[in-house]
Amino acid sequence: MTLLECKGLTKKYGSHTALSNISLTIEGGHIIGLLGPNGSGKTTLIKLVTGLLSPDSGTIHIMEEPIGPSSKSLISYLPDHTYLNQAMRVRDIMDFFDDFYSDFDSMRAYDMLAKLQINPNHKLKMLSKGTQEKVQLILVMSRRASLYILDEPIAGVDPAARDYILNTILSNYDENASILISTHLISDIENILDEVIFIQNGSLHTHASVDDLREKEQKSIDTIFREVFKC
Amino acid sequence: MLRKLLKHEWKAVNKVMITVNLGIVLLTIFGSMILSTDTFDNEEAFPLAILLTIFYSLSMITFSTVTLIYIYIRFYKNLFTAEGYLMHTLPVTRTQLFHSKLIVGYFWIFLNSMLNILSTAVLGFVAGLHFASREDMQDIFEDVSKEFLIKDYTFADIFGFPPLLLLLVIFLLMLTSCFGTLLMGYLSILLGQLMEKYRLAASIGFYMAIYLINQIITSIAMLLPSGQLMIDAMDDTSISFMGDLLRIMFPAGTAIQLALGIVFYMICIFLLRRKVNLE
Repeated sequence: MTLLECKGLTKKYGSHTALSNISLTIEGGHIIGLLGPNGSGKTTLIKLVTGLLSPDSGTIHIMEEPIGPSSKSLISYLPDHTYLNQAMRVRDIMDFFDDFYSDFDSMRAYDMLAKLQINPNHKLKMLSKGTQEKVQLILVMSRRASLYILDEPIAGVDPAARDYILNTILSNYDENASILISTHLISDIENILDEVIFIQNGSLHTHASVDDLREKEQKSIDTIFREVFKC
Repeated sequence: MLRKLLKHEWKAVNKVMITVNLGIVLLTIFGSMILSTDTFDNEEAFPLAILLTIFYSLSMITFSTVTLIYIYIRFYKNLFTAEGYLMHTLPVTRTQLFHSKLIVGYFWIFLNSMLNILSTAVLGFVAGLHFASREDMQDIFEDVSKEFLIKDYTFADIFGFPPLLLLLVIFLLMLTSCFGTLLMGYLSILLGQLMEKYRLAASIGFYMAIYLINQIITSIAMLLPSGQLMIDAMDDTSISFMGDLLRIMFPAGTAIQLALGIVFYMICIFLLRRKVNLE
């Protein structure tokens, strides 16, 4: 089933075109890497799909729903920065997610918190940056969403935490759901990807199956990326 | 979903708002206790009385300002900074988000305004009661009372309305002016979001501009009908001029604030339904 369908998406910031005429579809049950250098338009695309930005032209549908409350209930989004109120306790944030998302599994969330020895009674501002990121990831991955959109989930964390995050992602998503991961750290996630989307200067460069691309080019995705986006 | 938003909005702001409003209550109790003693009964206490009055006035202004600014900052921070990434990806509509902030913010600003008025009234009443009981003040009170009785002035001649109706009129004015004030801030923040850069600075600029326009419109609308009264009163030293003036100013102020509030609200809804672009 088609989870995400974008047609002719264009987004401009003043005179700068951040995304130009992007059309793509994402089917269920895949892990897709959204790859591109800094400023290529990855985050803009994600923000358009999550409804944080409005396109200048083009359409977006999530499971045939236009962007709105229904589409938002299908997406579990992890931004590239902390988006939680620092004055809140971890427990309050769990309650918040439980209230708004019918697909939030609080038992799973508390179980993950316990495994990471994060005290739910602590306020976010008492936690380190890395722990805060783990709390956000737990919140996002404790939902039974149709589409997970993770913006730079492993940037800025140590390799051990990176393994934990990737393991959490892989062990917590539904078979029919898809995960769209935006990252620069391709070698770390290459093995879990089914598809890749390369974005260059706001345009779609490549959208292909990882296996097909490797077979065709006889190179790793990391190597292909370095060649395509060579400075 | 609106109910859930209201629940969490309430939870997020109530600690600060309860503390601020508790401050007004405590200050009123403290002030009443001082005023009911004979602390100010001698002339030497005059400088202290002035000092405490200034302290009280500044505290009241601070409580009101903190409430207003806190509610505005909460709206801005929760919807248009990092926290907005969570709020705008919730499965709710933008108008539901807006209404939750509007209802909770309005409740606290209105409560704060009412407590301010009540506090002043309570302190005035306690002070009046205390001084009326003093023998040397009773002559003054009697003279004033006689003056009003001779000229047959009623409460409505001086204050424009009978006591209960006056309370209702003040209540209505507070209801509408709190509505207008809150929406003025929200509208400024939403207008600031239309800018490509310096959105916070733009919001502050919009606020100052709208505040100025609001003041001009309110002043014109309230003073124009009062103009004729002022001309008539030039030959008339009657105190009923005051009552006539208030009879015009209170309803005019209420109507203007309500009209401006509705206009601000409609522009806010229009802006929210348009494109939202988080930085």
